[in-house]
Amino acid sequence: MTTQQTQLPSLEPSALTKLIESASASGNPLAATTIQILHNLQHQHLWTSLEIHDISTDSIASDAPPTLISGIPPHRIYTHPDEQLYMLEKGIAEDDLRPERLFVIPTAQGQTWSLRRMAAAFDSLAAIEESSVSEEAMSTSESVDSEKAKKLDEYYEKKEMAKETKEWGTRRALLAMTNRGMGGEGTVVYYVVQEGEVKPRQN
Amino acid sequence: MESTPTLPIPISYVSGRYLLFSIDAVTYLRREHNICGVLIGTLPQIPQQNVFLGLPLELMPEEARVLVDKGVACIVDEAKAHDGMRSLLEEDRRQYLRDLESQGQLATRILADRKDQLREQSLKEIDEKKAKGLAAKAAKAAQAAADAQIAASSAPASTEKDESSSIFAAEDEMSSLSRTTGTSTPAPQQTMGITPTTSYPPLPHPVSSSGQYLPKPKVPLSYPLFAHLHSRGYFLSPGLRFGCQYVAYPGDPLRFHSHFVVVSAEWDQEMDLMDIVNGGRLGTGVKKGFLLGGPQKRRDEVESEADRIETVRTFSIEWAGM
Repeated sequence: MTTQQTQLPSLEPSALTKLIESASASGNPLAATTIQILHNLQHQHLWTSLEIHDISTDSIASDAPPTLISGIPPHRIYTHPDEQLYMLEKGIAEDDLRPERLFVIPTAQGQTWSLRRMAAAFDSLAAIEESSVSEEAMSTSESVDSEKAKKLDEYYEKKEMAKETKEWGTRRALLAMTNRGMGGEGTVVYYVVQEGEVKPRQN
Repeated sequence: MESTPTLPIPISYVSGRYLLFSIDAVTYLRREHNICGVLIGTLPQIPQQNVFLGLPLELMPEEARVLVDKGVACIVDEAKAHDGMRSLLEEDRRQYLRDLESQGQLATRILADRKDQLREQSLKEIDEKKAKGLAAKAAKAAQAAADAQIAASSAPASTEKDESSSIFAAEDEMSSLSRTTGTSTPAPQQTMGITPTTSYPPLPHPVSSSGQYLPKPKVPLSYPLFAHLHSRGYFLSPGLRFGCQYVAYPGDPLRFHSHFVVVSAEWDQEMDLMDIVNGGRLGTGVKKGFLLGGPQKRRDEVESEADRIETVRTFSIEWAGM
């Protein structure tokens, strides 16, 4: 018995634990949540160009989560049913479209939540999106087929219009929840949240 | 069919429930104001059956309130509205009974007419079918005759066949004639009994008479979200079926699948994130969205519930599938 115990190697903290410890010197539990979810997006879901947006300085956001994450998913996460119909009619595949930056609201199981917090997160999201929209629009797709390029231009034009009329959904974000307790087994679940009444997808 | 009942529509308040007894009011509210309610009437003899329910229609307090706020309806105390029943004059009573009887006679006549019409139509159809069959038979016979002629040129046999078929046709005509003449003598029928669903007449219309209505229905905290969605054209029904507060349909529930499983919350009401996971999963599992929303103002911050409705914000939630 005793010999076995001494032979056990001392448990190394996991790579994620080390990352969280090194990155969040403040010891804020919410900062740890953000890092954990960023890590999950990067390595499990293979998102790229990940960024953390600090929104805690905003006056309205005292109740909101202090950070938002944004990144570019490898595949589209959400397509509004009407947008999907349009794409089918025009023969546009999802892979033809240029990647889009998507925002993520990091939360942890057990954290209290309310409509006010959700709304605050969306309000600060609006502010960030407006400032970053010009930079996103610059990155044009390098398509070779002129016919396809024309179709895509039409699509982007329509998308801009749909943004105004909200016919292809409204401002959206992913609500990410990581689990706490159970030894922190590391599950993160994602839900698409949109402001207002947006009809469901036909999945 | 497209009748508009006298406005405002009286909603009967009976022991805490908001009920409608007039079918005209029920169809009008569904057609024009997106209010469905729930039919709760069963047959007294078969109270167990609950598939095809009839009048009365029960309204949620929220539905009644929306209608009252719009000025389409008013709440009437059903017991008080019938105080006049005892003081009804004997003469009026008799007149009312006579009216009911004449209505019953009218209904009987209409029903009998419709029956006759149906019978005539089906008889005609039978005759047509027979005539068609005969024609086909004749054609076949002719064909057979022609074949026979080619084979052995035996003409007399074919004429004999034709004659026999025409005899049958005459017989058929006779029989159909006798059947129609048989129905022309109507059997003496009993007058149908009429049970009106509303008590006006004999009583005066509850709205025109008193003008004393009950106060607006008391509504749960979720009312602003209800009114907000209703104003956007959604049909809302009680949400027990999907474990939520309301189920929201984009049009009449008979024509559309519902879009949302709706849950309301106050602006600062603390909720467990697990509730959002539950709602999101449930909604996605039944091909709906999970709609979470509520007014930004508390009840003690505003003068009336109407001020809360304008401040409603909603969020649609679906599983991301990742």
